[in-house]
Amino acid sequence: MTDRPSILVPIRVLEGESVPEGIPELLAHTHVVLLGYHVIPEQTAPGQARMQFEDRAVGRLDEYEEMFEEAGATVERRLVFTHNGQKTIDRMIYEHDCMAVLVPNATGPVEDVLVPVRGAIGVDRLSRVVASVFGATDADVTLYHVAAEDTTDDDIQTLLSGMTDRLVEFGMDSSTIETRIDRDRKPLDAIVDVADSFDAVVMGETDPSLTTFVFGMPADQVADRFLGPVFVVQRERASADEDG
Amino acid sequence: MTDRPVDVEPAGENVAGEAPVEEPEAVTDDAVVHDDDVELERTIGLVGGLAIGIGTMIGAGIFVFPGLAAANAGLAATLSFAIGGLVALLVALPTSELATAMPRSGGGYYFISRGMGTAYGAIVGLGLWLGLMFASAFYLVGLGHYASAVFTELNISLPFSPVIGIGLLFGVALTALSIGGTENTAKIQNAVVGILLVVLTAFLSYGVLDAVGVFGGGTVPEQFFSRGYFRVLTTAALVFTSYLGFAQVATVAGEIKQPGRNLPLAMVGSVLTVTVFYVVTIFVATSAFGAARLGAFGETAMVEVARDFLGLPGAVAILGAGLLATFSSANASILSASRAVYALSRDALLPRKASEVNLRYGTPHVALLSAGGPILVLVATGRVELLAEVASFLHLIMYGLMCIALIVLRRRNPEWYSPSYRVPGYPVVPGMGAFASFGLIVFMQPASIGIGIVVMLASYLWYRYYAGDVTLKGDI
Repeated sequence: MTDRPSILVPIRVLEGESVPEGIPELLAHTHVVLLGYHVIPEQTAPGQARMQFEDRAVGRLDEYEEMFEEAGATVERRLVFTHNGQKTIDRMIYEHDCMAVLVPNATGPVEDVLVPVRGAIGVDRLSRVVASVFGATDADVTLYHVAAEDTTDDDIQTLLSGMTDRLVEFGMDSSTIETRIDRDRKPLDAIVDVADSFDAVVMGETDPSLTTFVFGMPADQVADRFLGPVFVVQRERASADEDG
Repeated sequence: MTDRPVDVEPAGENVAGEAPVEEPEAVTDDAVVHDDDVELERTIGLVGGLAIGIGTMIGAGIFVFPGLAAANAGLAATLSFAIGGLVALLVALPTSELATAMPRSGGGYYFISRGMGTAYGAIVGLGLWLGLMFASAFYLVGLGHYASAVFTELNISLPFSPVIGIGLLFGVALTALSIGGTENTAKIQNAVVGILLVVLTAFLSYGVLDAVGVFGGGTVPEQFFSRGYFRVLTTAALVFTSYLGFAQVATVAGEIKQPGRNLPLAMVGSVLTVTVFYVVTIFVATSAFGAARLGAFGETAMVEVARDFLGLPGAVAILGAGLLATFSSANASILSASRAVYALSRDALLPRKASEVNLRYGTPHVALLSAGGPILVLVATGRVELLAEVASFLHLIMYGLMCIALIVLRRRNPEWYSPSYRVPGYPVVPGMGAFASFGLIVFMQPASIGIGIVVMLASYLWYRYYAGDVTLKGDI
């Protein structure tokens, strides 16, 4: 499937968040699921907020939709009033079977993309997103791995060259793909440091665990600290195909 | 995913020229969908629903009524609470069916206006709003009693009774908090209910063991119907205020996830839970002291019961629990009242302005103030029993009409009416629910009945004047 992957772009539409510069161009080759959402306090019924804010929110979404379409993307849009933004985002990922969520930070033309690769799991989806977003551009992709102490160089080479092969399979030019390996560092800090010299980051989401419960998802932490756009590639949702 | 089309077409205009907001296109497990792909997310789960129901109810039945009920009915007050629980259950079952068929904000008001027409809807809707104010005022006066008991405990003697002053203070604070606060109140509510249930379970387990003589105390059983049979029913009417909360679950029906499953479970579950707690509490309290002495302690009788069992720590624990419980009940009722205002204004029965959302805080300040303001006046009267009975009266009218609306809908069986939960024992259960709801009203004090009727009349006249042309009834 080299069809356009669905990328979710959540925008807090009534709180001054808009589509930052460079984002429509970045997503020109994808299928954009544009989610305008408005988080309201529990004292307020969602319908109450809708009565008052719907027109304004629809007007803004119209504008954004046009921006994405002009850039070349196909667009679907939803407007949701919610008490719980995360629940809404999760539901959209599920309902639209989104490959990735974009944390939309402003960017110029993207020339260097950092792709942290954690392990063999999820490489396929990660490659698919990278290839379809950046395959038709001149951007250079750097596959990055922070190795644990007990991993041998061979293991890492297998992992990264496997991923390179996947990217080429999906139509990327192998000359635009580089690899980089670091050792003896905390992966999260390393990624944030290295990312400084890149324009965009594409990384996989982590399985929920106690650590992610306490500290938040690494991908979210990177998104908080990195100033450019971050694509968070989603795990495969087990039952995504059952009833759509 | 269960997509259900909604086929009710409200029409007409009110005096100010506002029409009811159009109905949503579909209702799913996760959202209410309007046209143009605008959705309202459902975010309250089963635990949240139960917490709303139990949290609203438990404050009154355990922490305010035991003394008053024992004074009225003696040991048979236990039976009064059981009767109240049975009536609540008879209504909660039909309410569950209606709520799964129409999982929208507004609860009883919504069901009745769609099932029986605007006039009934207006009486119930405005009555519900006012009824919730009476209920909140009642909880706040109860809170005042507990707060004053803290002063007594600390041996601070005041030259005046601080009950009403404290009630007013908390009334103002709660309203201000609901308008300006953006904290996650639902999580706090869940935690409060959890703490209350743990404290009460521990306390009541000890009490039951003590009552049956495990700790050597053992009490002489007194005559069960010491005040006669009739008093059992009047007391049931009085304490019914302890069972109003399950309908508050229905007022947020539009925000409950998987409404077909969670609404019935939350409503029936919370009624059953609090009934058990109430009956055991009264049993324990009356066996500790005897009904006459318990009655003399008034609103904070449970503190004395705890002191008798566990000394000062027990008294302090129950004092704290009482403060928490009455506070959370008052808070939940004010929020429900504001939801009721929203539902009425959405249907053009109140000015659209009434549900306006504050731009700074995102909260419905007009609706909250229009609930909080009158509550203060009601708190100032300080009449616990009257406030409780008027609140019950207005709710019981709604409960009775909901049961009738269910029977009407079942008989006409319109196409859009397809509840995923169906009440067992139709038509006996809803019939008995209606009969019991209206029947309980007969046993109230004449003053409460009078005020209740005045409120209903005023609601009807308001409807005729303001929104006589609005039709909300579903096509049946």
